[in-house]
Amino acid sequence: MNFFQVMEQKGWYFFTTLMGGWPETLAVAVCSFVFAMVIGLVIALMRLSRWRIPRWFAISYIEFFRGTPALVQLFVIYFGFPDIGFQPSPFQAAIVGLGLNGAAYMAEIYRAGIESIHRGQMEAALSLGMTPARAMQHIILPQAMRTMLPPITNFAIVLLKDTSIVFAVGVVEIMALARNLVTETLQSAAVYLIAGALYLCVTIPMARLAARLERQRQAWQ
Amino acid sequence: MLQLPEIYAENLHRWLPELLYYSLTTLKIAAVSFFIAVVVGLLFALLRLSHNRLIRGFAVGFIEVARGLPIVVVLYIVYFVPPQLFPGLNWSWFTDFTGAVVGLGLHGAAILAEVFRSGIEALHKGQREAAISLGMTPAQSMAYIILPQATRIILPPVANYAIGLLKDTSLCSLIGVNELMNDAKSIAFADYQPMAVFVLVAVIYFAMSFPLSMAVRYMEGRLAVSR
Repeated sequence: MNFFQVMEQKGWYFFTTLMGGWPETLAVAVCSFVFAMVIGLVIALMRLSRWRIPRWFAISYIEFFRGTPALVQLFVIYFGFPDIGFQPSPFQAAIVGLGLNGAAYMAEIYRAGIESIHRGQMEAALSLGMTPARAMQHIILPQAMRTMLPPITNFAIVLLKDTSIVFAVGVVEIMALARNLVTETLQSAAVYLIAGALYLCVTIPMARLAARLERQRQAWQ
Repeated sequence: MLQLPEIYAENLHRWLPELLYYSLTTLKIAAVSFFIAVVVGLLFALLRLSHNRLIRGFAVGFIEVARGLPIVVVLYIVYFVPPQLFPGLNWSWFTDFTGAVVGLGLHGAAILAEVFRSGIEALHKGQREAAISLGMTPAQSMAYIILPQATRIILPPVANYAIGLLKDTSLCSLIGVNELMNDAKSIAFADYQPMAVFVLVAVIYFAMSFPLSMAVRYMEGRLAVSR
């Protein structure tokens, strides 16, 4: 049976089976995105702190998580944490792993965004009697959002693509279903090409959106 | 409670030489796929800037698809799909190592093509016009005028890509290449010490990527184009 006959006979079955992986893929992507946004902001604020200890902690965090592969981080969490008495489920390991990893990247995006806002904005807010936290929340971050939106969209694309490694710790998402289908039918060509097409249907429009946001930001500046 | 120092004192003399040996494979994968990515990436950057719409469209299509796919999917497609599409040919030369470097190389080519293009486009058009009015052919002006100047702009992002590539080699373990990550898995599960082994492997990856990221920081300060 050649490739085209396989596609004709089994293509629809492969497609519907792989589509069944989307909810899990999206759940991992969305949860770890939220996780990375929150932890990343904390790390970024520590990175910009006046005090040495939080600043050093943030620098080490960012360097370490950006300097090691996400797959190793996932393995430390999923296979290593039981050694210290905590057994995460595959889904928990996936969102904690990708979330902590993403936080290091998000922290740098936040930092660049916050630093792009003129210092006078912070000084003006403080002289109006705002606390530093309120000034950050109501004055700095809303303005920084404009600069940060294109890189955040790019980060979301990277994160969505990175969910394709979490099958290695047992999450049943698109790639895990693809591997199961290949074990079942041995038709790796058809299965992996369809799986690739499913990712492209989401990542290419998102990349176009990111490019458009970037152009708008440049026009606005 | 896990006593990491004791575990390392007991096992490091067995683990470390083996892991370092397989780090060489990791570095070899990274070096070969970096080379492929630079050559193919430069080719696609030039195709992307072509005046012919068909050639340009082909380059854009390749770049968008290769950048839009997760690296794991690229590796699976490159390694498993061609032998099944053309079963009549002899595929014995197509080892998992070859699949890994071709997959990572093509993915990197798409990333680098965009880096090269933005470097070339960032140069003033006048540079090229001046070169051509001096009697250089377009190829000569590209080789002697544009690319040497563009190097300065593209070097930091290329080095950043190299860091990412080094980490991405860990994904080759998923198609069965015997590199650092794969060896770590077998040691971790044979000795029932996943935490100790994977933390050690993280440190080894960090030791390989950190000098590169220091180099990027140095270059970003040093090569910044002053205007």
